[in-house]
Amino acid sequence: MVKYGMVIDLNRCIGCRSCAVICKIHNSLPPGTWWHRVETVGSKEHQVSTGEFPNLSEVYLPVPCMHCENPPCVKVCPVGATWKREDGVVLVDFERCIGCRYCMTACPYGVRQFNWQDSDESFEKGFKATGFEEGFVEGYRHGYPVDHRTKDGRLVYTPKRPRGVVEKCTFCVQYIDQGLKPACVRGCPGNARIFGDLDDPNSEISQVLRDKGYIKLLEDMGTDPKVFYIPPMRKKNRGAVKYSAEIEGGV
Amino acid sequence: MELSRRDFLKYSALGGVALAGISSTYFKRVQAEISAKPKNFSIIRSVCSPNCTGACAFDALVYKGRIETLTQSADYPEPEYNPRGCLRGQSMVNLIYGPDRLKKPLIRVGKRGEGKFKAVSWDTALDYMADKLVEIMKKYGPESVAVSVQVPGTGYVHKGALIRLASMFGWSAIHGYTMNGDLPAFWSQTFGVQTEEFESLEWMESKYIAIFGSNVFVTRLPDAKFLSIASERGAKIVVVDPNFSPTAAKADEWIQINPSTDSALALSIVNEIIKQKLYDEEFIKTYTDMPLLVRLDNQKRLRAYEVKELKDTAEKLRQQTPDYRDIFVVYDRNEGFKVVNPETLERDFDPVLEGEFEVELVNGKKVKVKPVFQLLKEEVAEYTPDKTAEIITPPNRDKKEYIDAIKRLAVEMATVRPLHIIYGASNYQWFHGDLKGRALSLIVALTGNIGKSGAGISTYAGQFKIRWPLGAWWSFKGRKNKWVTYLLWMNKEYRESEEFRKYNKETPYPKNDVKAFIFGWNNPFDQHNMANRMIELAESGELELIVAIDFQMTTSCRWADVVLPGVAWYEKYELTATILHPYVQLQQPAIEPLFECMPEIWIFKELAKRLVEKWNDPELKENIAEFYPDPELFKEEEGAKATGTWSLKLAREIAHKASLKAVDLMLKTGGDLVEGITLERLLKEGAVRLNIPTPNKRQIPFWEQINQKKPFPPQSFPVPLPKTARFVKSGRIEFYKDEDIFIDFGETLPVHKDPFVDTEYKLNPDAKKYKYVYITRNALYRVHSTHSNNITMLELQDFKPRVWMNPETAKEKDIREGDLVEVYNDRGRVVGYAVLDVGIHPHVIIFEQGWWSRYLKGTSYNTLTYPWVKAIHLAYFVPGIWEPTTAWNEVACDVRKV
Repeated sequence: MVKYGMVIDLNRCIGCRSCAVICKIHNSLPPGTWWHRVETVGSKEHQVSTGEFPNLSEVYLPVPCMHCENPPCVKVCPVGATWKREDGVVLVDFERCIGCRYCMTACPYGVRQFNWQDSDESFEKGFKATGFEEGFVEGYRHGYPVDHRTKDGRLVYTPKRPRGVVEKCTFCVQYIDQGLKPACVRGCPGNARIFGDLDDPNSEISQVLRDKGYIKLLEDMGTDPKVFYIPPMRKKNRGAVKYSAEIEGGV
Repeated sequence: MELSRRDFLKYSALGGVALAGISSTYFKRVQAEISAKPKNFSIIRSVCSPNCTGACAFDALVYKGRIETLTQSADYPEPEYNPRGCLRGQSMVNLIYGPDRLKKPLIRVGKRGEGKFKAVSWDTALDYMADKLVEIMKKYGPESVAVSVQVPGTGYVHKGALIRLASMFGWSAIHGYTMNGDLPAFWSQTFGVQTEEFESLEWMESKYIAIFGSNVFVTRLPDAKFLSIASERGAKIVVVDPNFSPTAAKADEWIQINPSTDSALALSIVNEIIKQKLYDEEFIKTYTDMPLLVRLDNQKRLRAYEVKELKDTAEKLRQQTPDYRDIFVVYDRNEGFKVVNPETLERDFDPVLEGEFEVELVNGKKVKVKPVFQLLKEEVAEYTPDKTAEIITPPNRDKKEYIDAIKRLAVEMATVRPLHIIYGASNYQWFHGDLKGRALSLIVALTGNIGKSGAGISTYAGQFKIRWPLGAWWSFKGRKNKWVTYLLWMNKEYRESEEFRKYNKETPYPKNDVKAFIFGWNNPFDQHNMANRMIELAESGELELIVAIDFQMTTSCRWADVVLPGVAWYEKYELTATILHPYVQLQQPAIEPLFECMPEIWIFKELAKRLVEKWNDPELKENIAEFYPDPELFKEEEGAKATGTWSLKLAREIAHKASLKAVDLMLKTGGDLVEGITLERLLKEGAVRLNIPTPNKRQIPFWEQINQKKPFPPQSFPVPLPKTARFVKSGRIEFYKDEDIFIDFGETLPVHKDPFVDTEYKLNPDAKKYKYVYITRNALYRVHSTHSNNITMLELQDFKPRVWMNPETAKEKDIREGDLVEVYNDRGRVVGYAVLDVGIHPHVIIFEQGWWSRYLKGTSYNTLTYPWVKAIHLAYFVPGIWEPTTAWNEVACDVRKV
């Protein structure tokens, strides 16, 4: 059985936020909704340095849904609207979700978002906040344009989620079920992401996890996330001008 | 349909237990709609190509006539290139379908800048425009019509069509490369070319990558991976920059220096390399002007025909060599003074590099001469680590570290091969950017790091490059357009100054000034409104006609008299190339142009038609049908008009055909570089590599010169070789420049010159009170000003423009994080919200260019900049190659809370 997982190499991640935007466009996310976020660790402002001058650093952290093996959100859903599929992907059935938001409190990663209003309203509000009087050309919405259901008929992707349901990253279920990779993986310009079958020892992702050291977010919470991070290598004395042996000894 | 929670529960209760599937009207409706229709998607490959140099292929998924998603095509032949694309190209749909999308032709009804227009038909707009143009052409001459065609490299067909139109009447084109300050002037001075660079794939081949002021991980997003891979393969990456950046964050070392002091650092490194004899003697003797002799009496190179004992040999050789060359002299260690043939790099001499010699001239006078290398050695001896540390060390750093760093860097850069220096635009867009470039080039030249895989110096700004001869399309029947230099247009005082009169050799200027301004694919009223002059020209009426061709209502459109709606890269056929990789690609229409927007080739054809009717030129009148590459297409459309069967749709179809014909024409007449590259191949394969004459057709600058000993320079299209070869008359890489103006300004060899001394303080000594340097860097969220109005990009920035500064600066000015501040000088001001970053140099204030004025409370970041003209850039005139180029960062400013 396939078990999907993702690796994000923080050495290669340049914090460009392309993954966040790819996800937004492909999954038809309205303003205010981000299934995938990228921030700079230790800094409120993105791409601003942290650390002690001159040993500065900037480490970026892209955060999609962790698709935990032991998902707390699934445990608390009173109606079974969110569940973990056989292939390890944690999904929301939009027709079952009653919007109680219990799953949102259970998720320690904060990756779930609630539709307080119709997405059309979100777009309207977003455009107004930008200073526009109008929105998109009449009726336009970006995003994969058709619904997607699991084999047993559950609605796990629809371009316009209605008001009152919770949504989150689905590993682009509408794409992976067609044999494609999630949009963020396909489009990362830093080539920092790998997606594949954790149960296949010969898959690229399995090899990388064997060869490289990796970390998981909030590992002590016991959620057993299936998104793994290759931590950035520590560059000694970053920012400080270094001495070399030749200079010390005189050339 | 609105569905409340209660309804849902009601229905589900009625529907029974089975909740999965159909239990609500909402979902029932949606599901029915979807399952009734088959999935009719079409996928069209096009190329995202604003002025970012990426030229990334995207697959547009079209559903019900709309682009619903964009996915990186990731189909480049070398797997390491894949995917290409970024957050901006990804969200292009926000612009195509956004609220700023232009719908119909517009004619201004209010005052300029008010943004009041009336929508009119194409005929009305074009007739109006043509009438006004003819009026102006008659009154002031056709050269008074200036056209700005930004980054033609991104679109050879449609942008070429505007140049084609300009050539018909002899309008003055403004070269975007220099208008944008993207031309790094050291290239023509040193190598005799416009600009050269490695394709990003080659970055992986270097073992030492020294990045001087380039923020690659923000400005070259699709190519970031190559730096990562190089690093993984063991390359050392060093970033030299006054400010910490995402690129510095990934580097092995960040060397923070004072703004614009890179020449000093480079020359000091050169000094070490020379002192420690780490230079490649054979290389510099063969490929550079280091062994050529220079007269000490007049600082000019010694010409062979001036030398008594060489006169006859030299005269004979001179007969055989082209006019753009000259015959120089070396001192052979065995045979004394010898003549150098500039047309070959094969040496029949073993020259000395050091020493002083006396030579007798034809007229009997005896003069002392020294090889260039000797002069260089003496000059850089002044750039001791100690003295240089004085210049480059930031105020909050320790000089001793820098003294040691200089010595160490010199050894590293001279011994770790291959070395690639990436010289960034933010760094060379200063008044003395050319000096910096020349100094940096010394490092790669002295160490033999040129013309090899992974070894060289590159600059990556502007998608300017004409990659093969395009004259068949760009010129109408062999006619030529004229040129006008943007900086000279903006800087009237300089045009009328002594210095200009004295030093200008060839640079033209319209006799009656610029009276009409047609711009396509640019936003000059935001991006080039230096010292607010664009707006002043518009407000005063000095500029009698302003026409914008765009697909969105930008700030500049608001200042126009006529706005013509064009299309972006998913609504037309276009031929696209870039500097960053050698692939030729097509843009293709994924959708019908929206509303009444038209492919630009049609717009210019229609304009040409009308102008020719009203303008007295029989050849044009007779041949107007040839504006389209196939006259039959022109006639077909005219025929449809006559029979009343014309429609916009038909015009578009014909324009698409004409575009493809133009592609075909340019490929068929383009010569060796595009031999075998056909329209069919492009349609089938997507990206096809140019036939670069190097191993594996890799884009390696100067490969032929270094490996096949072809003399410098290689040709820079579209200009014939003699025009640029005269910049390096010796046929070699030239570090010594002996034109009068270089001598006058003390720049015969690269030197360090402080910023502002020759500009701000010269213009106004009082400017010393503006203690900060104003850097208008490129932003992650925009490509210049494209995507400024992209709602997703704005969301990522919290809809707020920012001003970055060092916490020390903030403290001094009583500014806290998040405060609204104003950056200002005598010329202008701009507002933004303060961000404190200890990585910013204490004397630097950063504002990210590209924000449309409406997001800046009506202010404009370019009002602070100034159209400086460096006299050396007037020594020759080859548009976009040797021409005054904008120095965006040569600006002193201050900041205060608002």
